[in-house]
Amino acid sequence: MQMLGAVKDSLVGSLINLTGPGKYVHWGFIQISVANLVVIGLMVIVFFAAILIPFRRHGGRGR
Amino acid sequence: MTVAAGASGGSRRRRRFNPDRDVEEWHGKYLPYDLVKEFLIALVVVSVLVAGLAVIFSSPDDKPVTVKSWSTSDAVDFAQTAITELDGTSAIATYGPPYNTAGTAQSIGPFSPNHWLGVHHPIDTANDYVIAPLRTLPDQPQLQAAVTSYTSASPDQQAKWTTAYEKAVADATFDRGALKIPRGPYGPVGPMISSLTSMARSGALDGALLSSRQFYSTDYTKPLLFIADGTYLANLAQGQHLSGSQWGMMNETGSYPGQAWLWLYTLWYQVPPMKTSSNADLQVWGIMMVLTLLLALVPFIPGLRSIPRWTRIYRLIWRQHYRDISAKAVTGKGPTAAPPPSPVSSTA
Repeated sequence: MQMLGAVKDSLVGSLINLTGPGKYVHWGFIQISVANLVVIGLMVIVFFAAILIPFRRHGGRGR
Repeated sequence: MTVAAGASGGSRRRRRFNPDRDVEEWHGKYLPYDLVKEFLIALVVVSVLVAGLAVIFSSPDDKPVTVKSWSTSDAVDFAQTAITELDGTSAIATYGPPYNTAGTAQSIGPFSPNHWLGVHHPIDTANDYVIAPLRTLPDQPQLQAAVTSYTSASPDQQAKWTTAYEKAVADATFDRGALKIPRGPYGPVGPMISSLTSMARSGALDGALLSSRQFYSTDYTKPLLFIADGTYLANLAQGQHLSGSQWGMMNETGSYPGQAWLWLYTLWYQVPPMKTSSNADLQVWGIMMVLTLLLALVPFIPGLRSIPRWTRIYRLIWRQHYRDISAKAVTGKGPTAAPPPSPVSSTA
């Protein structure tokens, strides 16, 4: 029964608990949370991936 | 090279080809592309991502700051703020439009939208935050007599009482559920603020400030402005790195990320003259509107619209196409005269 409750809690609740004080990066006058930095980093990665990942080649079915 | 660009009176005018404005007609081959399929794939991928991330990370669930939580955590700050609402010296009491006429609306030269729109959300801090809520408390004849005594006194007498209370409450303490204020000639103001503090700590003041004609109240302006007048909320924000004076503030909650786009908006508050200006909100809004307009009008702004052509990132995106062209040029089987796909579209 206890195990069932734990499984339910882990399914309903978050698997990674981010509640609590955030961590911050200080760089001169810049102060940014690690979470925001990660999101911005992911956006930069997606931007460059969109540029660099090649298009699928078509089989010359043009008209 | 010239291209046709528009007709006037039946005669076609020709103008010089501009690579940032004009495009040549495509003479190469065409390939079918299923946009609906692409849309569906994108929808499924984003839906799976959203559901997956929600399961893994959930969402922030911070308890809201209410007048009850404020007065329970810091009753002295509440009392010190309440007296400024009663004597009309708080930030909101002296703000001006849209809440009252006691202050000057923000402006940039003659541009002052708050002044033009006038007072459309009136807040009389003395009545709305102190007197009217106290009037709703039943079975308290002594308190009601104190309120009547205050409201029927002359403005000079009211000012003497509130000034005396402001001095006394600066040294106030909170002990065993009650405010301890040094004695002073503050007349009925003492029992009024003490009762208001008790009312706030019980949660009744939250309800009184939210009362509206609608069944569901969605207008939290009054309690939010009241809370913002105190130092409690500002201290909370400072502790969570959410102060307006913090560079890089993006409304993050704890370890959850905030709105990444907000960095540019909050950046301007750290730059002079906005940093110390009383018109900072309007100035920052104006800067962001100008930048948004510039972004929207990029295809029409000479120089700015040439940046994609100068940076040649489009050649990186369509690198296979350009490789094919180079290979065909070397082997003598040159492509048709059509230009490669370009990020610059025709605006002519």
